[in-house]
Amino acid sequence: MATPFTRSGKVSHAASLRQAGERVAMPFPSLVAEAERIAATVAQGVHGRRQRGIGETFWEYRHHRAEDGASAVDWRMSARTQNLFVRENEWEAANTVWMWRDGSASMDWASSKSIPTKRDRAAICLIALASLLTRGGERVAVLGESAAPRSGELGMERVSARLAMGPGSMESVESPRMAKHGQAVIASDFLDPFETWQARLARFSAMQAGGVMLRVIDPSEEDFPYTGRTRFEAPGGGETLLFGRAEEASQAYRARWARHGDAVADLARRANWTLVTHRTDRPATQAVLALHRALSRDV
Amino acid sequence: MFSLGPLAFAAPLALIALITLPILWRLLRATPPPPKRAIFPPLRLLKDAPDDAETPHHAPWWLILFRLLMAAIIIIALARPIWQPDTTESGPRPLLIVMDDGWASAPAWTAMKNEAERRLRRAQAAGHPAALVLTAASSDADEIRLSDAGAVARRLESAEPQAWSPDRASAAERIRVAGETSRLDGSLDIVWLSDGISTTGAEDLARTLSTLGRVDAMTPVPGRNAMALGPPAVTPDGFAINLYRAEASQGVTASLVATGDDGRALARTTLAIDPGIREARAEISLPLDLRNRVTAIRIEEQASAGAVQLTGEAWRRARVGVIDAASEDGQPLLSDLHYVTRALEPYSEVQRDDLDTLLLNDPSVLVMVDAARTDDERVVQFVEDGGLLIRFAGPRLAARGDELLPVELREGGRLFGGAMAWENPQRMAPFSPNSPFAGLTANPDAVISRQVLAEPGSATDDRVWARLDDGTPLVTAARRGRGWIVLYHVTAGPEWSELPLTGLFPRMLRRTLGLAGGAGAPRAQSGRYALESALNGEGRLDAVPPGVQPIPAELWETARASASTPPGLYQLGSEGAALNVMRVGDTLTALPATLGGVRFAAIEAARETRFAGPLLALALILLAIDALVALALAGRLPKLTFSGRSAAALVALGLVIPLAPHVDAQESYRDSFAMEASLEMRFAFVRTGRAAFDTRTEAGMRGLTEAVSGRSAIEPASPMGINIETDEILFFPLIYWPVTNDAAPLSEQAAERVSDYLQSGGLIVFDTQDANLAATRAGAPHPGLARILASVDVPALAPVSADHVLTRTFYLLDNFPGRWTGGPVWVEADPDGAARDGASGVVIGSNDWASAWAVNQSGDALSTVEGGERQREMARRFGVNLAMYALTGNYKADQVHVPALLERLGQ
Repeated sequence: MATPFTRSGKVSHAASLRQAGERVAMPFPSLVAEAERIAATVAQGVHGRRQRGIGETFWEYRHHRAEDGASAVDWRMSARTQNLFVRENEWEAANTVWMWRDGSASMDWASSKSIPTKRDRAAICLIALASLLTRGGERVAVLGESAAPRSGELGMERVSARLAMGPGSMESVESPRMAKHGQAVIASDFLDPFETWQARLARFSAMQAGGVMLRVIDPSEEDFPYTGRTRFEAPGGGETLLFGRAEEASQAYRARWARHGDAVADLARRANWTLVTHRTDRPATQAVLALHRALSRDV
Repeated sequence: MFSLGPLAFAAPLALIALITLPILWRLLRATPPPPKRAIFPPLRLLKDAPDDAETPHHAPWWLILFRLLMAAIIIIALARPIWQPDTTESGPRPLLIVMDDGWASAPAWTAMKNEAERRLRRAQAAGHPAALVLTAASSDADEIRLSDAGAVARRLESAEPQAWSPDRASAAERIRVAGETSRLDGSLDIVWLSDGISTTGAEDLARTLSTLGRVDAMTPVPGRNAMALGPPAVTPDGFAINLYRAEASQGVTASLVATGDDGRALARTTLAIDPGIREARAEISLPLDLRNRVTAIRIEEQASAGAVQLTGEAWRRARVGVIDAASEDGQPLLSDLHYVTRALEPYSEVQRDDLDTLLLNDPSVLVMVDAARTDDERVVQFVEDGGLLIRFAGPRLAARGDELLPVELREGGRLFGGAMAWENPQRMAPFSPNSPFAGLTANPDAVISRQVLAEPGSATDDRVWARLDDGTPLVTAARRGRGWIVLYHVTAGPEWSELPLTGLFPRMLRRTLGLAGGAGAPRAQSGRYALESALNGEGRLDAVPPGVQPIPAELWETARASASTPPGLYQLGSEGAALNVMRVGDTLTALPATLGGVRFAAIEAARETRFAGPLLALALILLAIDALVALALAGRLPKLTFSGRSAAALVALGLVIPLAPHVDAQESYRDSFAMEASLEMRFAFVRTGRAAFDTRTEAGMRGLTEAVSGRSAIEPASPMGINIETDEILFFPLIYWPVTNDAAPLSEQAAERVSDYLQSGGLIVFDTQDANLAATRAGAPHPGLARILASVDVPALAPVSADHVLTRTFYLLDNFPGRWTGGPVWVEADPDGAARDGASGVVIGSNDWASAWAVNQSGDALSTVEGGERQREMARRFGVNLAMYALTGNYKADQVHVPALLERLGQ
């Protein structure tokens, strides 16, 4: 992306600054729209807490007690009998889901132009999920970036913005600042070594938090379609690897990739997280459905 | 120099570098192309994966071959290859260069000089002495001696072509003398650089030279041969001139130009000469007065003395002798001589005297009125020698004809319109296009009441220059010997006709004078012609060179241009004359190729071709291709191929499509635009360049067109969008101009067009479409509108008053809503002074009328309107009013006074 400072002159500077800003913001509405579309296809229902409390749905009638006061009497019910009744609603307090989308350089990459970057796909899945959750009355927050969990349209809006454009830094996962017993959804490619992720998840376990891991995979990472003399570079520069014949390495790579996948799955199972694996060339709906189902089980 | 057949190398040592090619081969094989790049996040997993990197991966064979070829081309280019190098060696003998430096050498002079220089340089390099003989320049026999070739080359530097023909005989004589006095020994390499024109001394020279050694004669290449102009000849409507050339293997096109005193071109003609033709004639038609101003005629393509003909004073004002008549007495206004003298004076030098005195002065024209009639033998002789005799009829001629007549005359003449005559007086018929008078307008007022009649058989069409209405000849003419006799069948005075009283008479006489001039000015019989200004070798007039001798008058006719009598303008007393290279009867003949002892060849430019430059350019192109190939191999080209290909296609298109059809296309576009705009009445709107915006404006104009067609007698065709910067707007009665905030200012031409449009009665509706936001501008002008109107001449504006015509051209309205309502609408404050008859040229508002009018194809309204359907209807009504206003102007203005009129009637 061209920085806004490449051109001189005040007018052009201001114009390019705005352009740059618009360009950055551009993916956001489309991400949200895409996410909303996906969310709409996933069925969802209202769920209560199955105990009385503050809510809108009727739960039970009970006898009036002295401390209730006159205003609590449900006159319609009371009129049918000789006793005074109080109408109780079901408690529909919201659960909080903490989300985090990996923003590291390896996520901001797609093997071809026709598929989205892993980062965008992860954001879409999480926004769609957030949309579903807020429609269900839950509160959502972005781990390390939201001050407090919010519900409703506003919460959805804020979470969407952060998921789409937030930094998604690793510190947010390494020292998660969330309430105990919370639910977390972590979207990443989980390419860091197995041990690193084990350590990170241990922090969550220490807080008795659990949740879902969304593993986003680019098709090239799994299929390794490279042939010929190829120089592989890490995204964001740095290390490079030169192969005289890339096809020679593919056998070994695929084996390692499978082993890595097994390790990640194993890690999830042991930490009691649900692992959802998603390839970016597949429709995001599948991932969102799986995520929602995994969360619904817990919530 | 190292050579391989016709190929030689100026720097052959560079070719040694070719042996490095095998080394390069190995190097290129060992250097693989750069690898493909791939970004790959799970790089960690790929680490230490097996790779048989040991197998050398080398460049494809065709790439290596391509690069080797490139290297070879560069090496060969550095060796500076020459195709067909100049390898003629200098002979082992001294060099004698004989060079024609006459006028005919001028066209090929550079080539001749280069050839001579080249040979001298070679002789100098070989250390041989050399000598140079110029055939035209007057040089001493002593100068012909063998000396250092370098000194000879320096002498060659100062040589220039001369204005006269080479004198080969004298050159031969000089060489012979030099040979006899043993300044030249008998074994020479002789090069004769000739001009290719044969002269009398050519054989002599060839013979003399062949005794001295081997002779190479060189003639100019075809196309560099000399052309010459012969003396011009007078024709009735101008002059004719011959063009000669000696070498006729190619067709040429020569432009002849006749120039006046001040060097301005008076006439110009182009002469296409086919191969094989050595003599061509150009006819140039030029009115007499212009012809008389011609001082020189030249061939534009050639700068030589022979390609110029100076006319001197030959064509100056004709000398006219009017033969005095003894019987003429004191009534000048009835005298024939008076009229003819006054008519001729402005154009010629008129002398009125008796015949004896006149003939002494050798006039070119004699005028003989009836009273001065004579058939003197000397007059006959004068005409036979090329003089022009102009005669007028009269009672004497009517009584009896004589010898000096162009046609046979019937005796008695003819009288019209008299008391005893049946016929009415006749008038002149229009001149026939073949007549010398063609182009003059016959004066219908000139009544001819008497004339002499020609015998019907003798007055053939070619002899009759002018006729009366009934077809009888008025002016007849015929050749007699080398001269002309012209007879006016009426008197030179007003006695027989009114012709001499009209302005046509002097004009007819002037045309008649066009035949004169062939006789030329009289030649003095004594005295000497002295040179005033001389022609130089390039055919320009120049100062008189030293060593020039005057020409005795008696030798003038036979004088020829030479070193002592160069061509140019000569003067004897008051009489000027021109001496030209080509005299009457001269032609050019080619130097015969059969001259004894001479080998002929053409003087050619150096044929050797050096192509180190093109080779290096080729190598650079290959290098560029190689860069592309390298990029493609490294996989960095996938994006580039498309844009590169399209860019290349664009460049190719740009090169291939010539400009002209493009311009034609543009022209036809403009035409079609103009046709479409003007064949049917339609409204226009200005396109802003924003597609969505313009679509809405177009929909608005469509809605207006529909509303107007449905409700009024106006039936406009569908509206047109115009580009205000390029399109002509004059065709439209009404232009709707939505103005955006960022509207660009008009270019100068567009502003001028808009101003013209307003001046010529057009109506432009400016709509800033921001009545809802106008308050936010806090009174500041609309920035876009301010920019547009800055360059347009818009008079003072005022809000539409309650009784403005706009409120009642069709509907009675009191406000002008569009999508918004309440925005002020401005018109010209005082349009009465304008040429538009009181109609305002601009209407400026902000109510976004187009949106209110906008309908889709099925006629449904497109945008919401602030005040609902009622306001949309009012907006449409305003639109109809606008259209009416545009088309009828202030026609409805009198409606404004209706209340007052009704009130008065009521009283």
